Amino acid sequence: MTGIVLDQASWSAGGTSIVAPTSLAFAPDKVNVILGPNGAGKSTLMKIAAGRLRPTDGRVLLDDRDIFAIGAKELALRRAFLSQHVEIDFAITVEEVVLMGRYPHFARAPGHEDRRIVDAALELVGMSARRRQIYPTLSGGEQQRVQLARVLAQVWDDTATPAPRTIFLDEPVASLDIHHQLQILDLIRTLPARRCTIVVTLHDLNLAFDYGDRFVFLRDGQVQAIADDSVDISPNLIRQVFDVSATGHNDHAGKRVLRFHL
Amino acid sequence: MAARHRSWGQIHLLLACALVAAVLLSLSIGSFYFSPAQIFRFVGHWLGLAPIAPEEALDLNVFATLRVPRVLLCGVTGATLGVSGALMQGLFRNPIVEPGLAGTSSGAALGASTVFVLGNTALAFTSPLGTAAVPVMAFVGGFLATLLVYRIATLFGHTDVLALLLAGIAVNAMCNAGTGFLSYIARDPQARNITFWNLGTFTTADWRGTLLVTAIFLPCLWFILRRGKDLNALMLGEDDAAFIGFDPDKLVFRLLILNTLIVSVATAMVGVIAFVGLIVPHMMRLLRSSDYRFLLPASALFGALLMEAIDVVARIVIRPAELPVGIITALIGAPIFLWILLAYRRRIAT
Repeated sequence: MTGIVLDQASWSAGGTSIVAPTSLAFAPDKVNVILGPNGAGKSTLMKIAAGRLRPTDGRVLLDDRDIFAIGAKELALRRAFLSQHVEIDFAITVEEVVLMGRYPHFARAPGHEDRRIVDAALELVGMSARRRQIYPTLSGGEQQRVQLARVLAQVWDDTATPAPRTIFLDEPVASLDIHHQLQILDLIRTLPARRCTIVVTLHDLNLAFDYGDRFVFLRDGQVQAIADDSVDISPNLIRQVFDVSATGHNDHAGKRVLRFHL
Repeated sequence: MAARHRSWGQIHLLLACALVAAVLLSLSIGSFYFSPAQIFRFVGHWLGLAPIAPEEALDLNVFATLRVPRVLLCGVTGATLGVSGALMQGLFRNPIVEPGLAGTSSGAALGASTVFVLGNTALAFTSPLGTAAVPVMAFVGGFLATLLVYRIATLFGHTDVLALLLAGIAVNAMCNAGTGFLSYIARDPQARNITFWNLGTFTTADWRGTLLVTAIFLPCLWFILRRGKDLNALMLGEDDAAFIGFDPDKLVFRLLILNTLIVSVATAMVGVIAFVGLIVPHMMRLLRSSDYRFLLPASALFGALLMEAIDVVARIVIRPAELPVGIITALIGAPIFLWILLAYRRRIAT
């Protein structure tokens, strides 16, 4: 089994179970969306899968190897992680932040290739014009786009035969306006074609169904359901996971849109 | 800003040139004045190029046994404080930390004082260490104080500024009370020097202490300067540093040990010198960048430069007597600290 696989992985803190024993494989080269209410354990599950939190029990495998047996540098070449909010208290420029994504690739000074990739990543998120601006002076949404550029630069591969990589995105559009939400999600949508497996948490179910390929529903640290098509997601499942009623409508383009009520 | 157009290397070179000039100034000015020509002759004499006149022998003796070690100790201490300030700001992920505020210096001073006062009684077990007992106990004191402040201020990889400053105040107060108590019960007249030495001074510089501080500082500096990328990564927070291939736990622990080591040993020799570790990296950040690959060497160079300049002032301002440098650094540094704090609060508010 290729890619990242959780094998009965669980995590508990101080005797309280945060993530129940979970076995889960992410669909390779697809957008895997983790859905669930606040406190469902989505971030924790992602950190376990990304090799940051060692599971209390069970294993996490990357291409059949224990992910914790892989060196930090090597792992950084194969998976990247965008955190919810990265706060920096220091005067450092946007391009220096993006260059950090290239740190696992060079020893002392960045090479031409690293510079080129930083440029390309900034271009991709639409922040090229701000490259010399001081990071803490950016708005929350702009900071998020810079962090996304850093994460993309980390596992950048535009060769003819790219290596498989996994990118975790923890609420990548939470602080963005609707225009930038769609822009970033469109961008994320193009990554599987470049052999990136995407694991992303989203709060907006309609956006999730528009952009996702596989849906993992999480509540109270337990996977409730896994669906590979949004039509399989029943109002019952949504009630079970989110405690809301959902009704589907077809918009004028014939697309199913959900509305929610308590 | 003109500095924008210069590369990091050029700024480092300019700072190094300015440091050389400051060292020459510091070598010549003081209760004895040595002209540049005279210093040149002394150096020639040591290199075996030209013997000096017999009437200069006393001057040479003063220069070699008092002035040179003092200037060297001053430069190494300044570099230590500058680089330590930058390092601690990186480890605490906060631009308003320095060894004086975080308890490292006062903890080291308390540790060193215990040897001065209790070395023959309660702490007799340290006597096998001989003269090394002072720096060793300074390290123990500095490390415990720093660890205490760090543990209180940092929860889940996030440092709270308010908790940090308050914990620093409390730990400093505890350590100062301990040092004050020790100096009060001290009988030995030398132990009474603790009060004076608590303000930081280079008057006691000798070759033995200077070489010890230098020998510990240089290898630590070499290791620290190679961790620029790691400290940059840590700006993102511990999780994100880990995601780009660093081990934040190991990094923080190792650098905290090295930092405490260099600060404690310097403190054991010269006493507490506050605020240099705060203003030096801050000025270097303003000058060019917060990127630690630039900041660490720049702070070491500028720290040494500033310390030499302050020590020259300390030697001449109330001539023929001398001021402890710690008084000058606090006098200049405290208002700058308040200004930095205000600027920081404004930025947080917006």
